[in-house]
Amino acid sequence: MNYARHEHHDFLGGSAHALADAGLQRVLTRLTDTLVAANRRGYAALSDSDKLRDHAKLIKEHTLAHLDRYLEQLEDSVKKLGGHVHWAATAEDARQIVVQIARQANCTKAVKSKSMTSEEMHLNPALEKAGIEVTETDFGEFIIQAAGERPSHLVAPAVHHTRESVAAILSRHLGEQLSDDPQALALTGRRVLRERFYQADLGITGANFAVAETGTIVLVTNEGNGRLTTTCPRVHVALMGLEKVIPRFGDLPVFLKLLARAATGQTLSIYTTLITGPRRDGELDGPEEFHLVILDNGRSKILATPFRESLQCIRCGACLNVCPVYRRVGGHAYGGVYSGPIGSILTPLYDSVSQNPHLPHASSLCGACQAACPVRINIPHMLIGLRELQHQFKPGRWESLAYGFWKQVLCRPWMYRLALKGARMFTRFFAKEGWLSRLPGPGANWTAMRDFPAPAAKAFRDRWKELNS
Amino acid sequence: MNREAFLQRVRQAVAEGNRAGAIADLPVRGGVGYQGAGPNPVQRFCDELRGAGGVPHIATGREAAVQAVLGLVRSKRSRNIMLGRGGAIERLDLAERLRAEGLLVKQMDDLSAQTARDSFFDADLGISNVAYLVAETGTVVMATQPDDPRSLSLLPPVHIAIAERRQILPDLFDLFDLFSPVSGTPPSCLTLITGPSKTGDIELKLVTGVHGPGEIHVLILDTSPT
Repeated sequence: MNYARHEHHDFLGGSAHALADAGLQRVLTRLTDTLVAANRRGYAALSDSDKLRDHAKLIKEHTLAHLDRYLEQLEDSVKKLGGHVHWAATAEDARQIVVQIARQANCTKAVKSKSMTSEEMHLNPALEKAGIEVTETDFGEFIIQAAGERPSHLVAPAVHHTRESVAAILSRHLGEQLSDDPQALALTGRRVLRERFYQADLGITGANFAVAETGTIVLVTNEGNGRLTTTCPRVHVALMGLEKVIPRFGDLPVFLKLLARAATGQTLSIYTTLITGPRRDGELDGPEEFHLVILDNGRSKILATPFRESLQCIRCGACLNVCPVYRRVGGHAYGGVYSGPIGSILTPLYDSVSQNPHLPHASSLCGACQAACPVRINIPHMLIGLRELQHQFKPGRWESLAYGFWKQVLCRPWMYRLALKGARMFTRFFAKEGWLSRLPGPGANWTAMRDFPAPAAKAFRDRWKELNS
Repeated sequence: MNREAFLQRVRQAVAEGNRAGAIADLPVRGGVGYQGAGPNPVQRFCDELRGAGGVPHIATGREAAVQAVLGLVRSKRSRNIMLGRGGAIERLDLAERLRAEGLLVKQMDDLSAQTARDSFFDADLGISNVAYLVAETGTVVMATQPDDPRSLSLLPPVHIAIAERRQILPDLFDLFDLFSPVSGTPPSCLTLITGPSKTGDIELKLVTGVHGPGEIHVLILDTSPT
């Protein structure tokens, strides 16, 4: 797969870097605390959020079990409206398709609203190479693009920046000295981006949902850039992963009622835009051409496996905010386009399990992610599944020797007792108040990051014996 | 081009991955998720809209409604107004009343597809009808058609939406039930607006008006006896 090949990433290095950055730690704590509280408040405001989440999951399960049929129905519906459907097996296919559409329609200036699928495809460099100017119009993405970075959170892409660093990035980008007041910065963004919208001839968006029955694609935004992107340019290209299809128009409220609540605690995002085909006769605005690009890029492979459940994700970011690992290391440490618990599943699956060895372990398996998920994806279960896969791929000679030895010890009670006795005697020299904070040799790898509980002075077994004698 | 190969791969993956008895039929929702609006939908709508940062106004008569709109326009010092057509706007005779104030008012029939863009980018206030209001969420629903273009509620920095009480739907499900291939194809663009344009992209500090209108006012014409 050509998902993120050139950015295989040192998760441990990235994490250490993030942990050492005091500013980032402050921002992450505030972001995740705020959004976790919002998520709980959001669910609590529904009279039957548990049942609604179960129902949302059932719809997704059903759709994935009949995905071929629903994709064909979606294609039919879009064509009936006068739209075009393109099938992209790989990211490379998708890039070519979008460039081709732009060339055929003579487009040179593109505006984009936030789309994780386009990030996954690495679309912007391909468009720029083809001579098409691309502007990210989500304010956070605009900052990220000006800084030459990648998003660090599903719904708050620029959250790792402070107001001072945003002012510095945009001042450099626009060649004027800007104050660091967020409201003033946002209004500068509005002024600059309005001009781009006015000139743009190509609008590129993702799709939160696509309805098979009506050919409708749904965009959920808070700023309104998704609306502008689908109002001003004369050509609209929507990009979707094949798992975004849902059967009926009437199923949408099930997901809409959950998505914003899970993401930010809002009852609905500010703008929910439902686009059904291109501009119709007599209408004053909206695109004359509508193209839908449906991307596989490794998803069909996942569909055939027990990891299918990961395709139910609606990209709300709730699992990131509650994850004790994400909350400390932030989005960039994960290396891939998707971060947090869901990213720890998607990146190895889309890219390569063997090339992303740390991600399935970047979890304490506490289950907070599943509890926060609007479609209750069993993320811990899948992380364990990925760890099993890794084991099949890479036995690791020293590791299997060590586990082989440990197995022998565990099979013989006398050896086990002896080993524990040895450990107790050995660690006595290092223990302080019941904790080992510095171990020699290979043990140092553990204690460099956290303390190890010291073995009790007297084994439970021995005390039990005394009690019963 | 790659269509057949693409769909064949999906077909095969579905077959391989489907457990026996994989959900054959779409699950029936019944009443799950339906929140409703409670005993007073107008009140519920206003509370939710306020919670999302919008401003509700209720007028019990036509003249009161007109005065509310004129008051808003004056307080915003708007000069350049885009005005929708038909519906409540027509019944309130707003075009005439606004022009009588000496304001520059453009309605949709004054525009062509070529001139519309400049007019909308230059405007400082948009006044529209609505298709529906959703009480549960405080949402204004705009359905695109020749008299209700997408830009009207999007490009001007202030949006005033004019609705009548009978346009209020209790729950989001009620809105989506109105559209399907059977009951009526959705319009080319159906927009659900729940508050003013917002971003929290810098240090989570909430900022309004970054792209869409920074202010949304909803005037509900409620002439029914209570």
